[in-house]
Amino acid sequence: MVSDLLREIRFLAKDRGALFWLALAFVLSIIAVTFGVTEVRDQQRTIAELIEEDTADRANALKGQEDWGGAAYYAFHLAYAPPSEFAFAALGQRDSSPWKHRVRMLALEGQIHQADTKNADFGLVGRFDFAFLAASVAPLLLILLLYDLRAAERTARRHDLLVATAGSSRKLWLPRALVRVLALSLLLLIPLWAASSLVGTSGSVIIQASFVLVGALGIWWLIVELISRIDASSSVLLTALIGLWLALAIIVPALAKVAIETRQPLPNGGEMLLLQRETVNDAWDLPKEMTMAAFLEEHPEWRDHAAIEQPFEWKWYYAFQQVGDLRVKPLVDQYRAARLARDHEAGMIAFLSPTSFVERSFEKLAGTDAASMIAYEDSVRDFHAQLRAFHYPMLFREEPFDRNLLEDIPGFVPSR
Amino acid sequence: MTSPLEARSLSLDRDGNTVLDNVSFSVAKGEIFALLGGNGAGKSSTLLTFLGFLEPSGGAVLVNGKTVGSDVASARSAIAYLPEATSLYGHMNAYENLDYFLNLAGRSATQADYDTALDRVALPREARSRRLQFFSKGMRQKTAIALALLRETPILLLDEPTSGLDPVAIDEFHDLVKDLAGAGQTILMVTHDVYGACQVADRVGLLRRGQLVGSFAAEKGKRIDTETVHAAFAEREAV
Ligand SMILES: Nc1ncnc2c1ncn2[C@@H]1O[C@H](COP(=O)(O)OP(=O)(O)OP(=O)(O)O)[C@@H](O)[C@H]1O
Ligand SMILES: [Mg+2]
Repeated sequence: MVSDLLREIRFLAKDRGALFWLALAFVLSIIAVTFGVTEVRDQQRTIAELIEEDTADRANALKGQEDWGGAAYYAFHLAYAPPSEFAFAALGQRDSSPWKHRVRMLALEGQIHQADTKNADFGLVGRFDFAFLAASVAPLLLILLLYDLRAAERTARRHDLLVATAGSSRKLWLPRALVRVLALSLLLLIPLWAASSLVGTSGSVIIQASFVLVGALGIWWLIVELISRIDASSSVLLTALIGLWLALAIIVPALAKVAIETRQPLPNGGEMLLLQRETVNDAWDLPKEMTMAAFLEEHPEWRDHAAIEQPFEWKWYYAFQQVGDLRVKPLVDQYRAARLARDHEAGMIAFLSPTSFVERSFEKLAGTDAASMIAYEDSVRDFHAQLRAFHYPMLFREEPFDRNLLEDIPGFVPSR
Repeated sequence: MTSPLEARSLSLDRDGNTVLDNVSFSVAKGEIFALLGGNGAGKSSTLLTFLGFLEPSGGAVLVNGKTVGSDVASARSAIAYLPEATSLYGHMNAYENLDYFLNLAGRSATQADYDTALDRVALPREARSRRLQFFSKGMRQKTAIALALLRETPILLLDEPTSGLDPVAIDEFHDLVKDLAGAGQTILMVTHDVYGACQVADRVGLLRRGQLVGSFAAEKGKRIDTETVHAAFAEREAV
């Protein structure tokens, strides 16, 4: 077997057509990885700048404050999801879901979902990152490398001599194809490995990603192998394989996306925003007891401090902010559940399309899948709850404003 | 003793047409058997059946006493095959082609071995490191013959081996084939060259539309008579 492989390596080294596709794979991999690393560095720089501004801005906003209500009102807090050590390979949902927020202690859901509308949706194809290269482009290159291994030899009337000399077709086609599959895998992976070691990606993630890529190429190899058994001309085989690639890499995922989105309708983010804004605006005109009653259902512990005597009191103001959150909670839960359900169904359908499977596996490894983005939003909610937990005692017990306590205001700690 | 090559009541269908019809012959060790026939008579198909590329629809083909279908790989490993259309790689030179195909057969040889074989077929030295796409038809054929020599198999199947060779090269080739048979190789060659077949073969079989219609053997120390065979060939073809 070793000598068969060596022979086919030497053979490949003289095959200009194959060398062209392999070189293209290498160049595309370098481009995809470079793009990913640059994008992640940009995001990291943005986050670093925001962190720096965050402390200064808040200190500035708090400087002139005389009471807890004003301090909570004017202080913005940065929340963010730092890109993982493998995000450069699969930018995934970081393109379409927000990964940074500046939140205040006001009604939260509007602040979370407002960001949604600002993020571009890259739609069907997505960005040219390594995951896209590995999932969609690599199979096409593999098809071009393998589709006419046999047919070309038949056309050149070399097939019978080759097989008669080899004894069995396995001794010939298996190593010949294997060398191409391995060369393609290696040339795609080398830039990924280089970038990983530069960025400091953990070994286990790299190994898993490499297995996913090689495994997917293996499946495509099997597909090409089965199709090219058909005794047809090279051009017929190529047409059939490109058709199959279109189906598995583009059409099935696109149809699946449409089907899933129809099955799992997503409440409109704008609807949530509007409902919350209305609730909060209406609260100004409602009897204060009504607002406080709704608030106390969630926070019975402040029952004894909930009487509002002045025309404006901060604790009433923040209470109706939270009531705003409570009012949209069913929509928010529905939204969250529908996204998870979509993600789950997409995960099932991914078994039908090696392309989707690779893309999803990479996003999971990179922490850029839907579940990770939802987990980040949940962490913003947790942080916001901490802000409320810090401020409510000050507001409801009407503690005197103490500048020294400002240092105890919780800060957002990103997971990972 | 079992014959290295044997066709037993061999019939063959290709795409629904009868290509071989109840053909029987055997070739003894060290013997040169020439299967003679016109275009489309079924000569190449016979060789492909011995190589296991075509499945008999009746009867059997045997290599070294074993039905080819039962162990194609071992049948092929006993055979060096010179195809009808020489089909080595145009983008490689003669050495690289020999190297590739020998390795494919699981053999290895030295540069000196290559040169010895190429000397035997009289391929000019200065041509040997040029790509085959710049070779003439005869030069390509010589390279392919050299490959068959280097395989050192007990059996040679040759399909129109002299096509493309000039008269001198044909004579040299005939001497070469006789040497090989003398050294014990069993040779089945198919051709429509009556003269050549009679020159070199110990026995000639006449194939016509898939049927073996005549057989001529050389008498001791003599060649087969070309006139007789030619008359038979022409007569049969005319029918
Ligand atoms: N690839 C093929 N598929 C189907 N039928 C074939 C194929 N090749 C040849 N045949 C048929 O088989 C018969 C014998 O062909 P074969 O090639 O064995 O003839 P041949 O004696 O070698 O002729 P030639 O002297 O022209 O080389 C012919 O009738 C031909 O039509
Ligand atoms: Mg023929």
